[in-house]
Amino acid sequence: MMRFSGVCSAIVLVVLSGFAHAEQEAWALFDKVQHAVQQYNFDTSFVVLKGTKVDTYRWLHGRTDTQEIEHLIPLDTSGVDILRRDSVVYYLLTDRPAFVTRSSSIPELPSLLFEPKSKVSELYNAIAGSSAVMSGRNAQLLRLTAKQSSRYNYWLWLDAETGFPLRIDTLSEQQTPLERWLVTHMQISPELPENLRALMDADLPAPADSIDKALPQTSHQLTWLPDGYQQVTEPATIPQLENSLLSYWLLTDGLHQVSVFVQNSQRLPTQAYRDGATTIFVQAGNKMEVTVIGPVSIDTARQLAASVQ
Amino acid sequence: MSSEHQDWLSAASDNNALTKAQLDRLLSDAELQNTLARYNLIGATLRRETHSPLQANFSDDVMLQLADEPVYNLQSNRSMLQRIKSAVAVAANGTWLQPVAQGAIAAGVALMAVFGVQQYQQSPEAALSPQPLLQTQPIAGFATPVSLSQTTVSDRFAEQEQQAMLEQQKRLQALLNAHRQQVRVMEQAQQASHNTPDTGTGQNEQ
Repeated sequence: MMRFSGVCSAIVLVVLSGFAHAEQEAWALFDKVQHAVQQYNFDTSFVVLKGTKVDTYRWLHGRTDTQEIEHLIPLDTSGVDILRRDSVVYYLLTDRPAFVTRSSSIPELPSLLFEPKSKVSELYNAIAGSSAVMSGRNAQLLRLTAKQSSRYNYWLWLDAETGFPLRIDTLSEQQTPLERWLVTHMQISPELPENLRALMDADLPAPADSIDKALPQTSHQLTWLPDGYQQVTEPATIPQLENSLLSYWLLTDGLHQVSVFVQNSQRLPTQAYRDGATTIFVQAGNKMEVTVIGPVSIDTARQLAASVQ
Repeated sequence: MSSEHQDWLSAASDNNALTKAQLDRLLSDAELQNTLARYNLIGATLRRETHSPLQANFSDDVMLQLADEPVYNLQSNRSMLQRIKSAVAVAANGTWLQPVAQGAIAAGVALMAVFGVQQYQQSPEAALSPQPLLQTQPIAGFATPVSLSQTTVSDRFAEQEQQAMLEQQKRLQALLNAHRQQVRVMEQAQQASHNTPDTGTGQNEQ
């Protein structure tokens, strides 16, 4: 009997250590992706597929000994040139002065590639998948499976040689693809791309030191938060909605952001839309209308809207 | 002419073997040759073989006839196809063709299966084509991109309410833009709030 239990525990130990090893290997792949997009000099193009909508971008990144520069250019007519120098992000508008914020990454890029591993591993399990050939390159699959089923899953394919991400699929909890981020061209070079060198020294406005805060707080309360989410304590004001907005909350789990808007009722039915992985849920009511926008499932959005009192 | 002569000549005419000396004598003596011819004639007459089916000079007649024959053009003018046809016709009568043909059909089927399956397996790679494979997922029974026309849950909207729908569309787009703007400035907002001592990060504020 002793021998039997000994054998059993040995098997369990071997299996567990096998899992632990696989998990470690997968997180090593994750490190490789982040290292590639944050350290290499590259010039790439990618598309974002949202249902029938396709957005195309060019994405350049460069590093010198002291500085980091990143440029995201939408190749469609509508869109804003976004430039990041170290931790300042510039939205270069054509008709207005540049809009400047402080951020260590461009929020329009998949946040998965920039958020610290400790934060991502709180929310996701990593599993290394099989390898495949993608755009003529050897690609390794890395699956990030949400620990809470309400969160979307990610499948990453990274270039086996460089670790550069080739494709990122966002999947619903039923594993239905919602959004696909796909690299169509990639060039990694030892030197800083030439057109970034000029932007490195370009004269750009300084970020605003203080942002307007303190939305007029009203009697509404948000009584429930999805697992892992917390409120951003002082979200910025939204001047364009000042007149119609009764309450506003911004929630984040470190990787995703969800907005909850409360407005006067427009006497329209409850409805829901989807823009790629972003859900837009409108909860109608007699006195107020709650709109939830963010990368959450329809059920989570409904629950969140219902929790406004 | 001695009887001795006649004996061995007579024997020779009956196909008996000659000695070397007898043969030499026969070849050198014309008289003996005539005698042998006569013996053979007598023998043939006795065996009733006088009516020979062929004249002694029949070959001359054949040559004469051939000389009168018109010349046919006998060059081979059959096409490759005809030759293959005839070759196949010959082969079809051979016992080896049937098993070979069966083998060829089996190999063809196997090749089709292999390549057909490979092509089928390759089809997911078509995902790399620009055609978007993602389909907007219906939520709450319907699905509409925000930027396009909408359908409602009740789906009972009258014409005069279309205007209201457009208004709603605009409002939603404004809210979506506001959400994106919030995401853009969020890190800055958080950095600002980190400067105050009592930030509630790390806790759920329920």
